[in-house]
Amino acid sequence: MSIADRYINYVNQEVKKDPQKGWDHMVLGFSANKWRSRLLPRPGLARGYQKLEALMMSLVADSLSHKNRYVWGNIFAPCEIMECFGLSTLSIECLSCYFSGYHLEDYFIDSAQNSGIAPTLCSYHKTFVGAVESGVLRRPEYAVTTSLSCDGNLNTFRYLEKKAGVPFTFLDVPYRDDPASVDYLAGQLRELADTLSSVFGQPFDEERLRRILQVENETRRDLMTFLELEKTHFYPGEIISQLYLMMGTHLLMGTEKFRDLVKFLIEDIKTYPEFTGKRILWVHLLPFYQETLRKYFNGNPKYQVIASDIVLDYADELDESDPFRALALKTIRNIYNGSYHYKAEAIGLLAQEMDADAVIHFCHWGCKQASGGSILLKEKMKELNIPMLILDGDGIDKRNSHDGQIKTRLEAFLEILESEEHRQEETC
Amino acid sequence: MLGYICKYAPVEIFESMGVDMERIEPEVTNFSQADMRMHPNVCSFAKGVLEDVLSKDYEGVILTTCCDSIRRLYDVLKAQLPDRFIYMLDTPRITKDAGIRLYEERIREMVATYEAFSGKTFDEGRFLQLLREKKAQSSEESAQEKGGLSVGIAGARANKNIKKILEERGVRVAFDLTCTGLTRKLLIEEDQVMTGYVRGLLSQFPCMRMEAAAGRDQLILKYGESADGIIYHTVQFCDNYSYEYAWLKGIIRRPLLLLETDYTKQSYGQILTRIEAFLESLGQNPKLTNKKTGGNDAMYVMGIDSGSTSTNAVIMDRNREIQAFSVVRTGAKSGQSAQKILEEVLDKAGLKREDISWIVSTGYGRVSIPFADENVTEISCHGRGAHYFNPKVRTILDIGGQDSKAIHLNEAGEVTDFVMNDKCAAGTGRFLEMIARSLEMDISELGPAALQSTEYIEITSMCSVFAESEVISLIAQNKEKADIAAGVCRSIAGKSYSLMKRVGLEPEFMMTGGVAKNPGVARAVEEKIGAKLYICPEPEIVGAVGAALYALDQIK
Repeated sequence: MSIADRYINYVNQEVKKDPQKGWDHMVLGFSANKWRSRLLPRPGLARGYQKLEALMMSLVADSLSHKNRYVWGNIFAPCEIMECFGLSTLSIECLSCYFSGYHLEDYFIDSAQNSGIAPTLCSYHKTFVGAVESGVLRRPEYAVTTSLSCDGNLNTFRYLEKKAGVPFTFLDVPYRDDPASVDYLAGQLRELADTLSSVFGQPFDEERLRRILQVENETRRDLMTFLELEKTHFYPGEIISQLYLMMGTHLLMGTEKFRDLVKFLIEDIKTYPEFTGKRILWVHLLPFYQETLRKYFNGNPKYQVIASDIVLDYADELDESDPFRALALKTIRNIYNGSYHYKAEAIGLLAQEMDADAVIHFCHWGCKQASGGSILLKEKMKELNIPMLILDGDGIDKRNSHDGQIKTRLEAFLEILESEEHRQEETC
Repeated sequence: MLGYICKYAPVEIFESMGVDMERIEPEVTNFSQADMRMHPNVCSFAKGVLEDVLSKDYEGVILTTCCDSIRRLYDVLKAQLPDRFIYMLDTPRITKDAGIRLYEERIREMVATYEAFSGKTFDEGRFLQLLREKKAQSSEESAQEKGGLSVGIAGARANKNIKKILEERGVRVAFDLTCTGLTRKLLIEEDQVMTGYVRGLLSQFPCMRMEAAAGRDQLILKYGESADGIIYHTVQFCDNYSYEYAWLKGIIRRPLLLLETDYTKQSYGQILTRIEAFLESLGQNPKLTNKKTGGNDAMYVMGIDSGSTSTNAVIMDRNREIQAFSVVRTGAKSGQSAQKILEEVLDKAGLKREDISWIVSTGYGRVSIPFADENVTEISCHGRGAHYFNPKVRTILDIGGQDSKAIHLNEAGEVTDFVMNDKCAAGTGRFLEMIARSLEMDISELGPAALQSTEYIEITSMCSVFAESEVISLIAQNKEKADIAAGVCRSIAGKSYSLMKRVGLEPEFMMTGGVAKNPGVARAVEEKIGAKLYICPEPEIVGAVGAALYALDQIK
């Protein structure tokens, strides 16, 4: 057993015996992992993805080491506004994934369920609530959440406020995309800036927000360039790389370090060979632990997940001159907001632009907004003549994701893709 | 006719335009359309509405952006019924002025869209008139009478069955704070009719999607004081209300029953058992009938427990001594098994039918026993039976064929709390049978085999179907049957532990039901709780003994 595994086991036990001490050791482990990911090269993984992993490890380890440096958020909380105050946003979904690094997700989930939380709730939310219930988590000063993209947000944060005493701002994202909705949300964003200013005792600097949006626009343009290059270069990634990218585009958007990383990705990918395998567009969350998926997609020249809707859920420029309305518009026009028709159109467009050979939609346990539309998306892909597979499982709780079932479905799907190619070759 | 579902829907506006409005309350037998067009894990209410709307000829449906499942329901309905008026009304979660302004604007847009669709017109004068009439009507409704056992209802929207069951048992419904139980709140502001109306809509008792729901707990606590107990209702695959339940149960001083329903007709039996057991724990005497089985001087009573796997009967004398007992497999018809066991147990005791002066039935099939004088839920009966065998017992784990439950007793042996598993075979006797079949073992061999295990295998799947395929993969990997069996026992113990924890995990512990005979499961549960389990020699008859004790109450 490696030193890392021994430490993981030690922390896993410690958390259950002495939650406070366990938490300190968890944070220590995150810091160690930050240095490991910075210093030790990972064979088979593209350099840019290694840097990306190190960046995300730093975000979590550095933030958690300083109580007043971060807020709890959800993945759609406007990190740009928090950045104006020098605060990081740690989304509870991502933190849950990090806790699962210590194999604690089952313990936390059971803990939440034992307190009465529904077993059918999203496992990311259950993991986080359970971590609070078990007395492990240290609380920050403040939290920010949005009604996008699921019901769990408001309820989880409200529960955390009552249980752990963490006050929060709730941003109600309207369903419709029109000027009245933008005004409504922009007003709430402005209030958020005022609230953070009084909670953290710092004045709000609108000019700084404008500069952040400038960086964000630049980053988004660069990201598009990188995606374009991914179509033709074999840039070996892992399925977890998509999750790290998603963290970047949601929690570090507008920061110079993430912009620089994307610039590095662009330069680095050009040095990699041509990609001749199947390009997979992944829809919704990725169960990074799943044995079969790792086997087929991690560093495999035959199949690569080249894009995911969770990474690029908004693609337009932000109007820097009117930052609150720009952020409101960005949130309202996110593909997870509004009707599923809108989302299906956007994913269809992405699949076409990325020349995707296939789409895989992962129905994460408890996620009604994603699972409920999976059939509609399949119909859309059928229209576009792009094969699509629906997989049921759980992004974090291994007990809800049966590898044998995923293996059969995935292998059959890949066989179909291969035979399709042979047929096309024969007709040519 | 337009269908609608949400209390925030501006029903009165359509009514003033002469439209019949119907609140959709599905009661379906299956979700075949929903499973095909949405996903099985979407909220059961939303799935039920889909089934209902696809089978009826509504002119259209007014939906609100109330939750994720309803948002997807809209997408599917819109795609399925493109010619009907399927409208998604964007309802703000913030009830301050900005929310009221936005909602008013959204409602006005909807009215214009409906006018174009239907050719009908909206007239503000007519609307105001209707509001005045309705308001006058609602203030005439009389206050509720007082007295008797009273129960309040809170939580997610509920269909009429909960109230019906309570009322049929003479229980007063102290309050109903679910979206479907609240009285409509109409606000009339003569100078700005629409704004006032919208303000009224948004200021109703908030549902969990609203920002203002943070104050719900204090209101429920206040209302709770007027009731002996509260039924907290949740809908399967709607998770929003479980947060409130988890919070409330720590702060409320009234007994709280968590009741999950799924809008199917089949769930009625399960609801009934849970509510009856709750009422019994609140002190309501089991429902009595005027029937009298034997003569007045008869010395014996009978308890009969009709479960999904076995039917068990006990004959007891006036001195609380068990005279005879019997256990038979429940066949396809519980009534037939009951007749069979009646003959068998009478024969064993050497008694005749007329020697039995009172018969109490319990278990899932309790209402189908034609010769029983009364029926009591299995929860109360297990509680009483357990106390009879060992008065020190405070926590009972009962694992039967199709359900498992944990029951908490006080010193007097009265049930103070209970929880039952959800509609899932995992963690039940049926699950063990499935696994035993996969392992090609007899069910009786599985427990002893588990005790011989040498390698630790974890069965991780929580769903019984997944777990079965996990077991099959383990067999394919040539794992030892004993080790797999032990893994399965631990999996059941894990589920059981959750149930026991939810009722407080107070020692001493007892295990009842057929699965208590499985030494593998019993050992795994003991390891998990870190304490010994008391298991009586015939753990299957505990419920029937409890029923017999209830019968004795009648002849004393």
